[in-house]
Amino acid sequence: MTLSLVLQAIFAGVTNGIVYAFVGMGLSAIFKGSRVINAMQGEFAVIGAMTTVLLLTKSGWPYPAAIAGGVLAGALVGAFIEVAFVRYMAKKNASEDSFLLLTIGLALTLSASILFFIGRDGHLLPPIGGEGVLLVLDAVIQFHALWLIAIGIGATLLLRAFCHRTTVGLSMMAASIDADGAATTGINVGRMRTYTFILGGLLGALGGILVTPLISVDYTLGLNLTLKGFAAAVLGGLTNPLGAAVGGITLGLVESLAIIGISSSYKDVVAFSVLIIIMILMPNGILGRAGRRGG
Amino acid sequence: MQSRLLWIAVALVIWAALPFFVPRNIADLLVFTGIYTIAGLGIGLLLGHCGIVNLAQATFYGLGAYASAYCTVMMGLPSIVGFVAGAAISMALAYVIGRPILRLTGYFLALGTLALSAIASALFFEWDWLTGGTLGIGGIPKLNLFGFVLDRPSRYYFFVWIVAFACMAAAHNLVDSRSGLMLRAMRDSSTAAAALSVDLQSLRTRVFVVCALFGSLAGSLFAHHASFVSTQSFGVDRSISFLLIPVIGGATSIPGIVVGALFVTFLPEFLSKLGDIHQILFGLALVAVVVLLPDGLMGAFGRLRTRLAARQGNHAR
Repeated sequence: MTLSLVLQAIFAGVTNGIVYAFVGMGLSAIFKGSRVINAMQGEFAVIGAMTTVLLLTKSGWPYPAAIAGGVLAGALVGAFIEVAFVRYMAKKNASEDSFLLLTIGLALTLSASILFFIGRDGHLLPPIGGEGVLLVLDAVIQFHALWLIAIGIGATLLLRAFCHRTTVGLSMMAASIDADGAATTGINVGRMRTYTFILGGLLGALGGILVTPLISVDYTLGLNLTLKGFAAAVLGGLTNPLGAAVGGITLGLVESLAIIGISSSYKDVVAFSVLIIIMILMPNGILGRAGRRGG
Repeated sequence: MQSRLLWIAVALVIWAALPFFVPRNIADLLVFTGIYTIAGLGIGLLLGHCGIVNLAQATFYGLGAYASAYCTVMMGLPSIVGFVAGAAISMALAYVIGRPILRLTGYFLALGTLALSAIASALFFEWDWLTGGTLGIGGIPKLNLFGFVLDRPSRYYFFVWIVAFACMAAAHNLVDSRSGLMLRAMRDSSTAAAALSVDLQSLRTRVFVVCALFGSLAGSLFAHHASFVSTQSFGVDRSISFLLIPVIGGATSIPGIVVGALFVTFLPEFLSKLGDIHQILFGLALVAVVVLLPDGLMGAFGRLRTRLAARQGNHAR
């Protein structure tokens, strides 16, 4: 095991981890704002990436505009799901399990729709920042990975600022902590829940777009990303979107460092075993904050 | 009571006559309905009586199927050995994994079982010396019952459904027993149940083990019916479709499990006549059931019956 191999693994881990972090942050934001575990969070990533691919190749949009279109598509689908399904079910006091099943059903529907309307082929996006690579101690690092890390850090800081500094962000936090209390101060709790779904869709779509230069996107990618994002969110304590960022990178690192020792095909086995062990041994996530509620 | 017995008799006659009047592909689907009923029963017990969402049933289903395939094809042992080996391995695994994992609650438990299913499906794929990987294991013999070969769907139908009825009776007894009372107490208020010295941990583990047993049994039955098993049958998506059985039918009702199993076997088949769009329609049907009928088809049926009875009562007055 050489130093460059370890360094390479660390970079791969951080890169994958940031993608898991995006999916996990979206999941966590939705859970915090609505107590719904969104089992179709990975589909947001697929929607974002597929829309960007289609806008770029079929409609010939410039790359940045296509990315914006993809993120917008994720946000719109998020808003639609809240308005069309979650709002109605919340009004009827549906149980937590039925929300989980709703999103599982939506995930099946969306992945089948992508198979039907777009086809079973995988698609790749061009890397952001060009094809170039950087050599650090013989470890090869794509420019895209550096952009990914920068965008990841930027988005996390923006999310933090949004939650703590803007009126909408603070209202969303208030509505999620105490819905009745927030309502008495004039916050429209229902609308805040729509916003959390928009935020979740937006983050998921961005994660999907950023991963597509590395992994080709097809209709089956959603479920795997949901699982990894879920793991990231749980590692971070579930109700803390910023914790999900830490959780995602931890998960990515564990995965990529573990496969130096074991065959790479056991990547998922390692990741999910770690998830189960951490859930049992550290019920508040790796940051150890209280306030996690699983049901 | 009389009319209830009459209904049961009518249902039994229809059940016994069915395989002789339907085409072969429908008889085949009815066999799958029986197999799925057995697998779904276990999940229904967990969901309806313990409030546990089990997304790992495809693991035990796969263990049963591979145990049967390996014992009969690779080792040339009689098929009963495969059934017993699958059941023993599944129950042991469920016990060993269940003890720690069932300490989780709510979503975390659901995620834990989902992760378990993902791990198992990766291992089924990687351990190709045992499972044949994507190529699978073929040539699994049909079951032979005292010299009577169950080679046609119409013959296998009776065998599978008799096993399914036995499992239903076992599940019914479990729910009606002292353990069933403790289960209900635990579901409705786990704190109160614990205060009445119900050992929640061991109770949940026991139901999880029963669920694994049903899953493994269904898997062995599947292996002998399909005579070919490969990793595609035991993925996370299969775990999800198993969970849908009690959800669609109604988790607390045993007939509901049969309704749910009919739904997940027949609906995709009928929709597939409409072409490739059928998967989308199945997803939408599922969403519609979850949104509109939160307590499943049996729950909706029960509400309808109460309403009709109330209306008749009004007329009589």
